[in-house]
Amino acid sequence: MDVVTNALKGEGIALSFGGIEVLKGLDVEFRAGEITGLIGPNGAGKTSLFNCLTGAYAPQKGTITYAGQSLDGLPPAARASRGIVRSFQHVALSPDLTVLENVMIGVARNHHAGWQHVFLPTRRGREEMARMRADAEQALAELGLAGAADKLPAELPPGMLRLVEIARAIVGRPQVLLLDEPAAGLNNAETRDLMRSLKSLCSPDLVMVVVEHDMDLVMSICDRIYVLNFGAFVACGTPQQVRQDEDVVRIYLGSDDD
Amino acid sequence: MSDHPVTLGRFDAEEARLAGLKPADLLSLGLAAALILLPLLVGGSWIFALGVCFANSIGVLAVSVLVRYGGEVSIGHSFFAAVGAYSVAVLDTRFGLSLLASLPLALALGVVSGVAFAWPSRKLSGIYLAVSTMALALAVPELINNADGLTGGYEGLYVSQPVIPGIAMSLQRYYAALIVLVAVVYGLARLRHSRQGLQLLLAKAHPAAADAFGTRRVWARVAVMGISGGIAALCGAMLGFAGSTVSPSGFTLWSSIFLLVGSVVSFYGLSLPRALVGGAFLTLVPQFLSASGAWIPVLYGLALLGMILLGHYLPRLRAMIADRKGGV
Repeated sequence: MDVVTNALKGEGIALSFGGIEVLKGLDVEFRAGEITGLIGPNGAGKTSLFNCLTGAYAPQKGTITYAGQSLDGLPPAARASRGIVRSFQHVALSPDLTVLENVMIGVARNHHAGWQHVFLPTRRGREEMARMRADAEQALAELGLAGAADKLPAELPPGMLRLVEIARAIVGRPQVLLLDEPAAGLNNAETRDLMRSLKSLCSPDLVMVVVEHDMDLVMSICDRIYVLNFGAFVACGTPQQVRQDEDVVRIYLGSDDD
Repeated sequence: MSDHPVTLGRFDAEEARLAGLKPADLLSLGLAAALILLPLLVGGSWIFALGVCFANSIGVLAVSVLVRYGGEVSIGHSFFAAVGAYSVAVLDTRFGLSLLASLPLALALGVVSGVAFAWPSRKLSGIYLAVSTMALALAVPELINNADGLTGGYEGLYVSQPVIPGIAMSLQRYYAALIVLVAVVYGLARLRHSRQGLQLLLAKAHPAAADAFGTRRVWARVAVMGISGGIAALCGAMLGFAGSTVSPSGFTLWSSIFLLVGSVVSFYGLSLPRALVGGAFLTLVPQFLSASGAWIPVLYGLALLGMILLGHYLPRLRAMIADRKGGV
């Protein structure tokens, strides 16, 4: 068996709200160098698992580690500083900022010029902003959004906003990239472009997890797929294995008894 | 922005972008130049009133930055203004130190006060935060009166030390307030194009997204309140210097409410023209109405309503005019 060092692992992750079990002791391993799909019906617990992994929720039981180091108790901002970033199911851009500025925020955690560089015209402040801008422009170009850099989010269609979110997530060269329904709102051509972009992002050091309802996208780009239903995994394997799994077919297509 | 590059002497493109230089900013520069020359044309009470107007404009900016970057409203900024005003007045009267020494202290104490208030109230928002700021404003006059050995109590303190000896104090009061106002506007323009400014604006709109990209929402709240408190302290410092006296009656709950009113009529703008509109509403409009006797509150209310309606409908009017021009 291969030794996987840069893996994001969860062991026995349990989360409940008011007595309702949302996640039921999940064991999961997202490996670097792979694109892992996380699928399941609405309410299955996919976004809740993302929230646990990024620190937005604190699971009542279980541990989460990245590259062998525990993430338990770390707030979201501290996890982000370790390179664990995400996109959101509902677009979460600042309406006051241009597209370029929104994407620049994705790389902000890698820069540390102090407040004096904000209010005084210092070289370090200038260089920091120039580097952030160059990185953001490159990320936008990779996703075909260079022409939208100076627009406000309100001026763009939902599909493009989704891509801007992804650009913000990838701009800081993350170690772990969690994408929550990246293709929602995209048309077929945009989805194909997104698939190409996600594949090109894949690298030996990057853990990439995609929550998605678009089965064509999931089956095309993912190396492994976890299937979640009512807070528990019902299947895990390659796209071929998952496609042939009877439980998965029943969940997605319904059984004769339903 | 990048569609309209601006070349200004030795400024490179990055410097111009950081400084936020756009046509609207060039308008601000023109306005600042006009205000520099204004004492050549007017004098006496106008110079005094405009100096106080500039100081109030700084206070309007303090409230507006809290709204713009924190999404919160304060009705207690007279507290931070009082911190700045008494820093200047006490150093002036007790130690003979001029504004050059007391202004940095006022700024530092304002920032510290803002941070000290923000930390325990970091989980509050909306109406709860606004009411908690009101507690600050209510406490100010009593705090000042109880420390009368230092503050002069009800009688207050007189600010008389010149910044530059030999120059008429009336001009110093005018220009010092104008310089600080322009400096605050410049600082806020830089904030808008800084990493921290971007992070604060995301934290205001989507705290969870800010968290997910390394910006702690507590840091954002404390930072915004520190900046706002510091600017409010500069407002107080300049009110003391430009107005020449500092007393508890200048820092009441009503003072805080009027700062908020100024911020609203300036539509939370952080540019020089917007700040001056807010400052004028606090200083010059009451002066214009001073001969109206009992009608002053009514006329002030009408002026306030008129400004808000104008601001509300102005974008639509502009759009209509643009459409007609396009049609022709």
